[in-house]
Amino acid sequence: MRLNIRVVALCVALLVCQGATAADLPQRWVSAGGALSEWVSALGGESKLVGVDTTSQHPESLRTLPSVGYQRQLSAEGVLSLRPQILVGTEEMGPPPVLAQIRSAGVQVELFSATPDLPTLQGNLHHLGQLLGAEAEAQQMFDSYHKQLAQQNTRVTEAQRKQEAPGVLLLVGSSGGKPLVAGKGTSADWLLQQAGGRNLATHSGYKPFSVEALAGLDPQVLVFADRALSGEQARAALFKENPILSSTRAAKDGRVIELDPTLLVGGLGPRLPQSLVKLTAGFYPAASAMAP
Amino acid sequence: MTSLVKPRTLFIGLGLLCLLATWLSLALGPVSLPLLDTLRAVLRLLGLPVAADGLEQAELIVGQIRLPRTLLGLAVGGVLALSGVAMQGLFRNPLADPGLVGVSSGAALGAAFAIVGGSALGGLPDAVGPYVLSLCAFLGGLGVTALVYRLGRRNGQTHVATMLLAGIALTALSGSAVGLFTYLADDATLRTLTFWNLGSLNGASYVRLWPLLLVSAGVALWLPRRARALNALLLGESEAAHLGIDVERLKRELVFCTALGVGAAVAAAGMIGFVGLVVPHLVRLMAGPDHRVLLPASVLAGASLLLFADLVARLALAPAELPIGIVTAFIGAPFFLYLLLRGRT
Repeated sequence: MRLNIRVVALCVALLVCQGATAADLPQRWVSAGGALSEWVSALGGESKLVGVDTTSQHPESLRTLPSVGYQRQLSAEGVLSLRPQILVGTEEMGPPPVLAQIRSAGVQVELFSATPDLPTLQGNLHHLGQLLGAEAEAQQMFDSYHKQLAQQNTRVTEAQRKQEAPGVLLLVGSSGGKPLVAGKGTSADWLLQQAGGRNLATHSGYKPFSVEALAGLDPQVLVFADRALSGEQARAALFKENPILSSTRAAKDGRVIELDPTLLVGGLGPRLPQSLVKLTAGFYPAASAMAP
Repeated sequence: MTSLVKPRTLFIGLGLLCLLATWLSLALGPVSLPLLDTLRAVLRLLGLPVAADGLEQAELIVGQIRLPRTLLGLAVGGVLALSGVAMQGLFRNPLADPGLVGVSSGAALGAAFAIVGGSALGGLPDAVGPYVLSLCAFLGGLGVTALVYRLGRRNGQTHVATMLLAGIALTALSGSAVGLFTYLADDATLRTLTFWNLGSLNGASYVRLWPLLLVSAGVALWLPRRARALNALLLGESEAAHLGIDVERLKRELVFCTALGVGAAVAAAGMIGFVGLVVPHLVRLMAGPDHRVLLPASVLAGASLLLFADLVARLALAPAELPIGIVTAFIGAPFFLYLLLRGRT
């Protein structure tokens, strides 16, 4: 009898302990940074999110959450009013004095790197997994991501054997007007490279181009990311606002590809591999036609 | 102008308004606190022996977030309005605002230099970044103003008209330099720059508050002492000189106080437009052009306006926040138009 009580007590204690570790994990999350919020959702943490910033647009359901504003201009009291236990964001999150105030209110503040490379992503996912109590899922997700990017690389090398890398320009704009051209050192540039394109722009950052320069570069493929419109409307607006583009090889051959502009912010996101597949297919039409 | 408010009534009214704004600024925010808790937290902050039980959150929110923010708002609003009066008195022109002598554009240039240059150097460490930004803005404002003043001087005399034109030229020049920095900036820096140009009281902390409080207290104590001289200057420069005013010294003081005050305000809170231009007019419409009333009343009115604008900024989109520069004009401009048109009937 006595033993029984002890066993019961032990069981209860174990249960309580387990309960305690689960309860120790933060349950109310605020996430700032598009890709990061996507990963939190992908890892099953969406129900824990009580607020996101304006760059967190995917999955759609995040848009219904309270918005804490732009990630660089958070307001200490605004974030605190959501009573979060943890605030996650990229290194861009700020301003620093506000983060200090949020920390001093006892909220855990975790910063993640937005560098677009696999080791960073692995570290980030591992960390997020720990915080969400989903380490196994995080590892699994990274492995499959890794595999998809490796397949992507093979696909690009294969394709390049049959066809020279096409010259590409990536335009970012709003309703087609005055698009900015993505140059070196941008996430867009990295994306083009991964998809096997050759970025024709050699400047750094996103810069406006004169129409003459655009026509002079004569890209074989145009990729455009429109913040306001999407689909056929965005395409029409782009050519209406910039008639010179119609004279490029890309337009004549109909090789104009749309890209979701939210892919360009906040590091590697979960939707990236699919978009790369789509871009590569556009860059190497012959190769993908032959592929099974 | 039909009826002016008596100075006594005006001061009592504005004083009460300012107190109300301060209280609301301490009591309202996205985090809803019971009114009693706010009151107790404020009393504790004032050093009164009030029981601390269950006050942790209230003390943190009021003491660490709202109080520094309120003080920042009071200092920035007051000093911007005061500098506005000084500039309108100096140029004897109702369109004059502190930007005219190049403080604002110089500060913007300094800030752009710090934000874009800092990120080009691989990003400043978080610990010093904000201070470098404030310091560069302050020095930029002071530097450009000193240059404008220097250009306006000839044969030991300051020509106000020359100074005004030099101010316009240097503002344009700084504007183009800021434009160049904007062009060089990457996406993230560009957003920081844009937000800085709209101003914000967000993230106020005591460390960054003290320099501004000292400067604005100095300016707010010094300028009203020159009210009689400013009144004399309204008659014209030679008239003021005949009345025994050292006009050169007065001009120097006005420019120096403006550069110091606006430079410190802009360094702490970013560019906040409209207050310096319109608050002096608001007060003048109510109380007439006597600088003995105008100067201190503008401090109170500017501080109140900024606190009310900040309340809107932090509550309108809570938990997100609006830049305050958007709100000051949005509240102030219609009110100004109303006062202007009221006198016409």
